Amino acid sequence: MSAVISTTDVCRFFGDDEETLVKAVDNVSIEIERGEFTALVGPSGSGKTTLLHLIGGLDNPTSGSVKLSGTNIAAMSGTALSDFRRDHIGFIFQAYNLIPVFSAEENIEYIMLLQGVDAVERKRRVSEILAQVGLEGLGDRRPNKLSGGQQQRVAIARAMVSRPEIILADEPTANLDSKNGIALLDLMKELNESHNMTFIFSTHDEKIMKRASRLIHMQDGKIEFDEKK
Amino acid sequence: MLLFKLAFRNIFRQRRRSLLTAMSLTGGYVLCVFSFSMSEGSYSNAISFFIQDHTGHIQIHKDDYLRKPKIHKSIEAPEDISAILDASEQIESHTLRIFAPSLAYSETDNSPAQVIGIDLDRERTTTTLAAKISEGSYINSEIDGEGYYSAMIGAGIANNLNIGLGDELILISQGADGSIANDIYIVGAIVGDRRSSDRSTVFLPLAAAQEFLSMNDEVHEVSILLKDDGRARAEAEILQDLLPDLAVDPWQEVEATFYQSMQTDKQGNVIFMGIIVFIVFVGVMNTVLMSVLERTREFGVLKAIGTRPAKLALMITLETTMLASISVLLGLVLAIPLVLWFTYAGFALPEPMDVGGILMSHITGELSLYVFAAPLFLILGFAILISIPAGIRAAFNSPTEAMRSN
Repeated sequence: MSAVISTTDVCRFFGDDEETLVKAVDNVSIEIERGEFTALVGPSGSGKTTLLHLIGGLDNPTSGSVKLSGTNIAAMSGTALSDFRRDHIGFIFQAYNLIPVFSAEENIEYIMLLQGVDAVERKRRVSEILAQVGLEGLGDRRPNKLSGGQQQRVAIARAMVSRPEIILADEPTANLDSKNGIALLDLMKELNESHNMTFIFSTHDEKIMKRASRLIHMQDGKIEFDEKK
Repeated sequence: MLLFKLAFRNIFRQRRRSLLTAMSLTGGYVLCVFSFSMSEGSYSNAISFFIQDHTGHIQIHKDDYLRKPKIHKSIEAPEDISAILDASEQIESHTLRIFAPSLAYSETDNSPAQVIGIDLDRERTTTTLAAKISEGSYINSEIDGEGYYSAMIGAGIANNLNIGLGDELILISQGADGSIANDIYIVGAIVGDRRSSDRSTVFLPLAAAQEFLSMNDEVHEVSILLKDDGRARAEAEILQDLLPDLAVDPWQEVEATFYQSMQTDKQGNVIFMGIIVFIVFVGVMNTVLMSVLERTREFGVLKAIGTRPAKLALMITLETTMLASISVLLGLVLAIPLVLWFTYAGFALPEPMDVGGILMSHITGELSLYVFAAPLFLILGFAILISIPAGIRAAFNSPTEAMRSN
């Protein structure tokens, strides 16, 4: 299988001098293949979120390279990087981060609008994905009229509707109770298997990490060990 | 469309703040419209005044008569020009005039006078001369039983010479052929009062003046009244092509000093209004920046999911422009009745105001597309301008940094 994500000696340091220097990600090299359901695990401050941001092109590495499907996104910037994220990466955030003035349907539709998908196709895909995440009939509700679990389902639908190759989820279940968290992970796993999308999510919840097919343990910005089930 | 929807809904997120911002924009717009209406109205009234008083929309002269008037710079065969002008559908009417400086005498006194020979019938339909007669009646071009023509004289001359209706007036001048011109006329009417611009003028029938000044059928000036005030320059160009040997000037050239001071004053008014609008917009800019700062995290998310930086900046510009547009629409609803009242009723000034050299004692506004459109573009232009810094801030913020903020 080909590596859809490949980082080589990637570093992300914060601070200007020796005393204040923080090595958030320190010389990390990983390869993740298409369709993997990978969890980045480790305690707070271990570098999980920073590594996800580097893989997602939200942050630039201090050194090293980040390649997604063979493209070195560390060398990209501005509009090109925005377009790359739009077409290749879906994001799910811990705090859902839905647009509050949009309904669930509009939140999902927005990214397709950026891609230039025509209106009829947008509507069709929104209905389809809402059904897949179990939110049929709730499409016209704004985020403040949805529960936390429902909002995160909308976030999953928004991340997937553009049909990206990679979904990056930063602590997607952290704001949910354990029952809803597990249900959400099961949904993500199901979508991962049915759509063959590559999922990487960060977590420090042991119940959640059991669902992953691969665990990358991080500590102090380095990979402690990489465990494939 | 979704971007418009997003921008529109964002306006209503902080309703009270948006309402206060809209109120200041609406107030600024109404103030601007009123000021533009007053400025345009004052100048329109002044322009109408001198166009109908004597200037007309267009004047025709021989060579540089307009700048250096000499008695011999006269138009030959004015009847040919009249035929052309009478045939034009754009022209309401026209009149023919000759001018000469002279000395006026009564039995006991004398006074300098400006003699103007006028085509009585045409002058009546072209200018307001007939309405300015304060004593007597509009004269005719007939010679009376004793062989004298009638004259209409300014109130200043009547006062200086101590003469009235029916009295004899003696005029002495120089004829076009170099001869000494002198003749006696009977006062048939007094024009205006002692403050009028015509106070030192003697109006004679055209034929009488031509005879007095030995000018045969020639005239010095053709003054034209158009049906449409706005076509002076265009019609002047058309007439110039038809009359290449003569100088055809629109009122803007004839009254160049007034026109230039009016344009300067109008530009000053636009700059002054621009400063007022800018001050209003300093407050609006604060609101826009605040609104962007509050949504830093949201902008980070929008960038993360693939919104281009330029599109984010566009969204912020759209929001500000939409708020300004709503405010201007509201302002329009308030400004239309105000301008209608100001245009058709207006108000009297406690002291007369000088408008380009003409004293106005009653001010009325102008109802035109310009008085509503110019402030509209001024406000929308500023709205776009002040949204640029906020847009740039949102566009160039790193998504990671933005998403860390609360």
